[in-house]
Amino acid sequence: MLVRGLRRKIGVILQLQVNGDVHEVDVPDHWTLLEVLRYRLGLTGSKQGCDKGDCGACTVLLDGQPAISCLVLAREAEGRSVLTIEGLAPRHVAAGGCGVDPVQAAFDASGALQCGFCQSGMILSAWALLARNPRPRPEEVRAALAGNLCRCTGYTQIFDAVARLATAGAATAPETSPEAVRD
Amino acid sequence: MGARDRHGIDPPWGEFRHVGQGSTKIDGLAKATGAALYADDLSLPLMLHAKTLRSPHPHARLRAIDSGAALALPGVHAVITGRDLPVRYGILPWSQDETALAVDKVRFVGDPVAAVAAVDEDTANEALKRIRVDYELLHPFLDPRESLARGDPPIHEDRKEGNVSKKVELAFGDVDSAFAGAAVVIEGDYDFHGTTHAAIEPHCVLARYGPDGVLTLWSSTQITHYVHRALSRVLGLPPHRIRVIQPCLGGAFGGKSDPFSLEFCASLLAIRTARPVKMLYTREEVFYAHRGRHPMQMRYRTAAGPDGRLAAVDARILIDGGAYSSYGLVTTYYSGQLLTGPYHFPAYRFESTRVFTNKPPCGPKRGHGSVQPRFAFEVQLDRLAERLGLDPFELRRRNLLGADATTVNGQRVTSNGFARCLERVEEASGWRQRRGRLPRGRGLGMAGSMYISGTNYPIYPNPMPQSGIQLKLDRSGLVTVFSGGNDIGQGTNTIVRCLVAEELGLQLEQVRVVAADTDLCPVDLGAYSSRGTFMIGNAVLDACRKLRGTLVSAVAESWGVDPRRVRFVDGAVVDLEDPGRSLPTADAFQLAEARFDTLGATGSYNTPSLGGDYRGGTIGASPAYSFTAHVVEVTVDEETGRITCERAWIAHDCGRALNPVLVAGQMEGSAYMGLAEALVEEHEVNRFGLHRGPSLLDYRLPTSVDTPELHSLIVESLDPEGPYGAKEAGEGPLHPAIPALSNAVFDAVGIRLQHLPFTPGKVLKALRAAAAERRPAVAAVSGT
Amino acid sequence: MLRLPSFRLEQPDTLPQALALLDQAGPEAAVLAGGTDLLPNMKHELRRPSVVIALSRVKGLTGIAEAADGAIEIGAMTPLAEVAQSALVARALPALAQAAALVAGPQLRQRGTLGGNVLLDTRCQYVNQSHFWRSALGFCLKKDGTVCHVVAGGSRCVAAASADTVPALMTLGAVLEVARHDRTRQLPIDAFFVADGIVNRRLEPTELLTRVRVPRPAAGHRGAYGKLRERGSIDFPLLGVAARLDLSEAGVVEHADLVLTSLAAAPRRVAGAADALRGSAPGHAPAEFETAVRRVAELARRQCRPLPNLPGDHEWRGEMVPVYARRTLLAAAAGQGPVHHV
Ligand SMILES: Cc1cc2nc3c(=O)[nH]c(=O)nc-3n(C[C@H](O)[C@H](O)[C@H](O)COP(=O)(O)OP(=O)(O)OC[C@H]3O[C@@H](n4cnc5c(N)ncnc54)[C@H](O)[C@@H]3O)c2cc1C
Ligand code: SF4
Ligand code: FES
Ligand code: FES
Repeated sequence: MLVRGLRRKIGVILQLQVNGDVHEVDVPDHWTLLEVLRYRLGLTGSKQGCDKGDCGACTVLLDGQPAISCLVLAREAEGRSVLTIEGLAPRHVAAGGCGVDPVQAAFDASGALQCGFCQSGMILSAWALLARNPRPRPEEVRAALAGNLCRCTGYTQIFDAVARLATAGAATAPETSPEAVRD
Repeated sequence: MGARDRHGIDPPWGEFRHVGQGSTKIDGLAKATGAALYADDLSLPLMLHAKTLRSPHPHARLRAIDSGAALALPGVHAVITGRDLPVRYGILPWSQDETALAVDKVRFVGDPVAAVAAVDEDTANEALKRIRVDYELLHPFLDPRESLARGDPPIHEDRKEGNVSKKVELAFGDVDSAFAGAAVVIEGDYDFHGTTHAAIEPHCVLARYGPDGVLTLWSSTQITHYVHRALSRVLGLPPHRIRVIQPCLGGAFGGKSDPFSLEFCASLLAIRTARPVKMLYTREEVFYAHRGRHPMQMRYRTAAGPDGRLAAVDARILIDGGAYSSYGLVTTYYSGQLLTGPYHFPAYRFESTRVFTNKPPCGPKRGHGSVQPRFAFEVQLDRLAERLGLDPFELRRRNLLGADATTVNGQRVTSNGFARCLERVEEASGWRQRRGRLPRGRGLGMAGSMYISGTNYPIYPNPMPQSGIQLKLDRSGLVTVFSGGNDIGQGTNTIVRCLVAEELGLQLEQVRVVAADTDLCPVDLGAYSSRGTFMIGNAVLDACRKLRGTLVSAVAESWGVDPRRVRFVDGAVVDLEDPGRSLPTADAFQLAEARFDTLGATGSYNTPSLGGDYRGGTIGASPAYSFTAHVVEVTVDEETGRITCERAWIAHDCGRALNPVLVAGQMEGSAYMGLAEALVEEHEVNRFGLHRGPSLLDYRLPTSVDTPELHSLIVESLDPEGPYGAKEAGEGPLHPAIPALSNAVFDAVGIRLQHLPFTPGKVLKALRAAAAERRPAVAAVSGT
Repeated sequence: MLRLPSFRLEQPDTLPQALALLDQAGPEAAVLAGGTDLLPNMKHELRRPSVVIALSRVKGLTGIAEAADGAIEIGAMTPLAEVAQSALVARALPALAQAAALVAGPQLRQRGTLGGNVLLDTRCQYVNQSHFWRSALGFCLKKDGTVCHVVAGGSRCVAAASADTVPALMTLGAVLEVARHDRTRQLPIDAFFVADGIVNRRLEPTELLTRVRVPRPAAGHRGAYGKLRERGSIDFPLLGVAARLDLSEAGVVEHADLVLTSLAAAPRRVAGAADALRGSAPGHAPAEFETAVRRVAELARRQCRPLPNLPGDHEWRGEMVPVYARRTLLAAAAGQGPVHHV
């Protein structure tokens, strides 16, 4: 059987649904989703730390699941919904909230954002976890974030941020908190 | 001189409103929402993409480069080689031995050779493959001992000392007689391996050369000022035609504190093409740019009296510097100079030798030059305590340096909260109840350290301030602060905002910080040596205090009251004696502007004269020292050799914790980084002269499931010279992690780990060796 | 960025279309499942296909189902996360569930597929590197060169089979369903791997893996997976051990199996393991069972010699063979696992 017409003509426009908007972009087949987000759509919130799946800085949500966007071809994201860090606050506001998404606010309040470079991916991984499990246990938090490397924080304040969100329950108390002693 | 004024430790208006509060970061929400712009997030119309061709050989002479085929490729706009950028640079004026692109030699696999600017990255990469380079291979030096022993062929041909990069020998007190008379002498060999910063953001620059002849460089640097100077020197452009801007920075840890090849290449390519040029390193290239922890082979001898009091320390250190000098001169001094606290010892000698090898150049990584010796020395102390049957805490308490002391090498120590740090970790870890009583395989270890809050050594000698600040007060009630400081994620700009708001009685939102832009901001030397909070903080206080009087008197005059009744607080001005009377800050600013002039002020900081009166005596001389103690709890699986760090308690004396959340973040991040390099990280060159795994897969950063529980215990010994008494928290808290871990393993299974990294294979070997040592005794007994 | 070399992407919607495209393109084509192995390898220029055929749109390649005969069938495109979370797999095929749950990190398990894992390329510290790095070293047998840097003078590539799920599937006697445009065949996974690191799979370039079929496990089946790695997440295995114990109603081992991976180019079944364990009864005579387990661990130690093909200390990996063999067997007997350090 010969298959014709499957081959894309150059110039076929790719339709990407990102943060609720449909974008039409024309990119070569070998561009990754991360490259298209950053360099074609100007959504530079998704970061690149290795470009080959090792660090998680490029994590976005594909149909609600955390995905390594440097290892997803842009065309493979067609027909799926992409949520990037830029989309969280507007989504929250559209749903009647104000300010930023509570996950973003909790990361800010806990000091979890040092250089911030890992954090768009980290926040999205945490966001996806909390969406499916609003009261994760500390081990579940650790496991869910285990594909997002952070070099600055030692993760502790990140755990604190997620614990802050996990409503009530002894299991979700922050693991540590700084104590000041004056002498 | 105002810059050296002490500003005092007290709140400016009766009580602190912001200091100590742990407010959120100035850029926290920008980062959390993806709005913060990092270097690679910037782009300009007509922007070209540049890539670097790198040496595939560890050591070779460059015979010829043919870039014709690359230039001919459609889409390629320019190709440059070492001939185009022959001027040498280097962070230290005494050892400028780098060029942006190799001029006549390459010195490690990854050394930059040529750069291409093209319409896109694919074209630039394709062009690189078409450049032909003719190399004459030279003997590669991969072992620092070989570099020490032989200078031929020299890695740097103009050096008189063969392949030695720097040698420092210093002695204080009568070391030999102290050893001769000592009750106990502990000796040991220690190895520290290479590790790197691995900030998650790769190095990136964007260069634009405008029609006005001004070069603007956005760079992921932590030293805007030095990059500015180096660009001027190498490009031959007067500095006033260069503007360097540090955008939001994705981590650095010392890895972005040299001028790097890409900064010069992108700039020249922008000049040559009259188009903006971006250059972004791949992760692999970041490993070649390196400047990470120097591998050190160390021999320590420690002499003590029968009561455990230290009598003398003697050290010999061989430092593997890699291919270039970078900060090596300072590293070599630091390897000895920074050891002389938090314990007192009357005699000290060290001989440190840094050699060149054909590997990526080493430089400053968090705890520059002193993490390695600290490891060796604190394990020595643990062994001394063991020998004397003393508790490791007790041994350290018997040797405390104390506050307002002078170290054996002549450093002035002012505030000192080390004793309190010891108490805090001892108590929090349950040391007294638990140490030595845990089941075999589990153990506790401790260690201490001291670190600098900046030094009085300004990298290039000059009498100007180390840190400058400029304030602009607006009629709206907004204060804009122009700070040369580099916020690299540690929160410098957040601290600046906090201090300005505190001093001028504002709400945090009334302060905006513009930073690290050489056109807009006064000079600060950069984010290194843990100098930010201390020096920038003092400069901020200096600037604010110049304005306070003006503001107060304008209001007092308008109210017709004694200025002492006027207080600025939380964005308003109040009359202390008439609670009904107040003004918003904006009105007060307007009164002052009308009464005096457009409102602004500058402030600065410079260190007092410090340091010992001998060559190198100022290197490592700091206006204030921080102190740290750790207790680390480990589990050792004796069958697999795997060490698991379960918990770490970190007590750190940072002076006043201006923002305890930021301080805790630095403590946790430091401890994490130290434990990681002890257990899993290895920046090594393999037997072929190649980096063994230049990726974030093979260079293993611990993940969230690998990281121990970290408990930060902040200790505040208010420093008389720090801003409100603050010192540093960015680097000090890393130091004790590694020796404390080694000491904990000893407690758990009775082996001494002295050769980093503590891989499970080594642990198993050590366990077997320990068992074998026990066995012959048994055999001897049964044999009789 | 670490750019992908350019190629033409095809995204067929049906299996026949995919097979036809593959047939036309032949060895020039690469099949893209989750891409978590293929794309990094392409970024390293280990592969430069001119056509990439994505299976993501092809219907009928995902899902986990129990067939009428009790066999469990898993579509090749089923994400590893789904395999790991499936209650059916966890109950019936614990070793597979455990192995799938330990592949890479959480995001990659969402995207990486079971089929892609089975077909994972072999790995070596001298080959999973950029084109620049490999050119600096000198290319090797696996790609573009003529020498091996692991075995000096070696004429055979010994890059390591590194897929976590494969040893589990081997202990379970899985059968691979492989389709070509003109035929479909069923291949026992045992016959699928060969000791050649260049290509260690017996899959023709025009074939697709469509389904993995695991025969109905015995009523008293117990299984576990043990994974040695440096970090608790992300890292490929430095050693992978899958154990199977089928117990009779009386609790006696009737059948057993032990398969290791990350040694050399093919996973390795420990010869004599089944015989040594058969007849022992972990529940009733634990000491005797443990002795048998130790015997098997010793067999594993003798038969499995990890090579310096993966980064790190291969002698330590060798020392861990009997330890992980024993621990994994004990975990299987206890209905526990995985054996993993975190
Ligand atoms: C950082 C990182 C860590 C990793 N850690 C692990 C680990 O711990 N353990 C592990 O096992 N793997 C690991 N992997 C590799 C990979 O993620 C998994 O093996 C994954 O299961 C591969 O599946 P995939 O669908 O992404 O495969 P792909 O990359 O799409 O394909 C893999 C190979 O199989 C071929 N292929 C795929 N599906 C088919 C099919 N149906 N028919 C024919 N050919 C096909 C492809 O052409 C390719 O050659 C890791 C990867 C990364 C980037
Ligand atoms: S085993 Fe040898 S031939 Fe195979 S990839 Fe490694 S170095 Fe190359
Ligand atoms: S950039 Fe995608 S995982 Fe690192
Ligand atoms: S905050 Fe810097 S890497 Fe995580």
